[in-house]
Amino acid sequence: MTWPAARLTLRLRLPATLFAAVGLIAVMAAVGALFPAIGHTIGKLNVPTSVANLLGGADYGTITGWFRSEIAEIYGPLVIAALAITGAAAATAGEEEDRILALILSHPIQRSHLIAAKAAAIAVIVLVIAFAVWIGLIVGVALGGGGITIARITALAVQLAFFGFATGSIALAVGAGTGRRSLATAAAATAAILGWLINSFAPLVSTIAWLKYLTLFYYYAGHDPLAHGINTNGIIALGLVTLSLTALAIIAFERRDLTA
Amino acid sequence: MTASGVASVARRLDEPAIRTTRLTKDFGQGRGLFGLDLEVARGEVFGFLGPNGAGKSTTMRLLLDLIRPTSGSAQLLGLDAGRQSLEIRRRVGFLPGDLALYPKLTGRAVLRYLAQLRGTVDPRLRDSLAERFDADLDRPVHQLSTGNRQKLGLIQAFMHEPELLILDEPTAGLDPLVQQSFHALLREVSAQGRTVFLSSHTLSEVERVTDRLAILRQGRLVVVDSLENLRKVAVQRLDIEFGDPVNADDFRALPGVQEVLTNGRTLTVAFEGPADAVVKAAAAHEVRAIRPREDDLEDIFLRYYRESSA
Repeated sequence: MTWPAARLTLRLRLPATLFAAVGLIAVMAAVGALFPAIGHTIGKLNVPTSVANLLGGADYGTITGWFRSEIAEIYGPLVIAALAITGAAAATAGEEEDRILALILSHPIQRSHLIAAKAAAIAVIVLVIAFAVWIGLIVGVALGGGGITIARITALAVQLAFFGFATGSIALAVGAGTGRRSLATAAAATAAILGWLINSFAPLVSTIAWLKYLTLFYYYAGHDPLAHGINTNGIIALGLVTLSLTALAIIAFERRDLTA
Repeated sequence: MTASGVASVARRLDEPAIRTTRLTKDFGQGRGLFGLDLEVARGEVFGFLGPNGAGKSTTMRLLLDLIRPTSGSAQLLGLDAGRQSLEIRRRVGFLPGDLALYPKLTGRAVLRYLAQLRGTVDPRLRDSLAERFDADLDRPVHQLSTGNRQKLGLIQAFMHEPELLILDEPTAGLDPLVQQSFHALLREVSAQGRTVFLSSHTLSEVERVTDRLAILRQGRLVVVDSLENLRKVAVQRLDIEFGDPVNADDFRALPGVQEVLTNGRTLTVAFEGPADAVVKAAAAHEVRAIRPREDDLEDIFLRYYRESSA
């Protein structure tokens, strides 16, 4: 791995990452603080199952349901996916479109090492956000009166980190293979959003229920980590996707011409 | 090192700095580089000349393994441009034609990063180059002018004392004083036995600094030769001042004469080949002065360019 490349990628992306991390903690603290006041009042929403699924069950009457609907199903994956995708898409495709990559690759570094360095930097960014989610949930749950164990909070943060790794690896692979930042961003964002939609709607239709197994979102949240703790199979699946796509990124990047 | 290893290194030292064999990169629709056979000797300053789109940058990107050839091969410093690219890039300095750098970083941070990618760069050499080019290392790249960014590009290309420098349009955006510093640096580098392969469409620059040059057009090599030989075949011009007006048509009819311009009692005669016929025709009149005009590379370039177009 090329450590200077990893360090520079981190340095360039750290301000936005830390800003997002602080924002996440603040939002989760606020969400937790709101629970005693309005959570019990709202209770479990009486909405169609499809809408309830979109909202992570729409059970606002319990602290677990409250954080599942507010953070675990929407806000957390949205922020971590956004940072992982933008970071990974910028990593090679962005530098290539900005015409920096030709100069970098004229130095004695292997393309595979550069991809590994970028992937490592994106992984650190994802871990920072997952850690912020962990801190934010601990603070938020405490402000909300407690009711979720540290182990369950840790489980969500870990599942979320692996979701971030896998989502980022889609952008990394497409970006490394095509040199196009917009395509990398679009592909990964589409996979993330479709995954969320499929997990909400596919279970309602038995003939397409199997589609959820093709989504990253299922392996992140299908097991409901806030309620049931860590899902080892989900972690393994997301880890394998991440490793496979990173390997694919390296192979594709090694073989092709730089476009700019 | 084993005896065979020593022999292998010795063989490589005898190899030219750059050798391409039928090197081709076909982008389709007639664009790319086609069948380039080229040798650049060690210690040479070699000019690669051609208009935009001629294939100069494509050649350089092929040499550095940034793009892969459709066919043919290239060797740099005796090493295969594809299989041994990592070792080549360790020993080569490159300035891309469309230089871009990290806009948020200062010049110093950019150079530090690029030095880290190389592993070993003497900071004193980097600083002396910065001083030489009067480069501003403390402002973010996005605040720098094109010329100041180009200075950073030159510093990073030279700062590890590479054996071979591949420079794509190196003086683009530089002011004349910095250009002079750059040309002086090229002479020093050449005197040290290091090789410079530079492209340009600025003819005067190539003329000033190169030993030999190649002219490329639409991806194909038109000519490669020394400046001296190219001058021999170039159109020469003589300004001949006569005592009395003379008939210009007498000179137009002479063998090799291409153009005759009249300005009072002075004729400017452009001709190819030996000057014998022109001088003898002039000698039939009272000649007050004969002044040869210095040909520049533009004449040579345009001549080859016209011929290959035809």
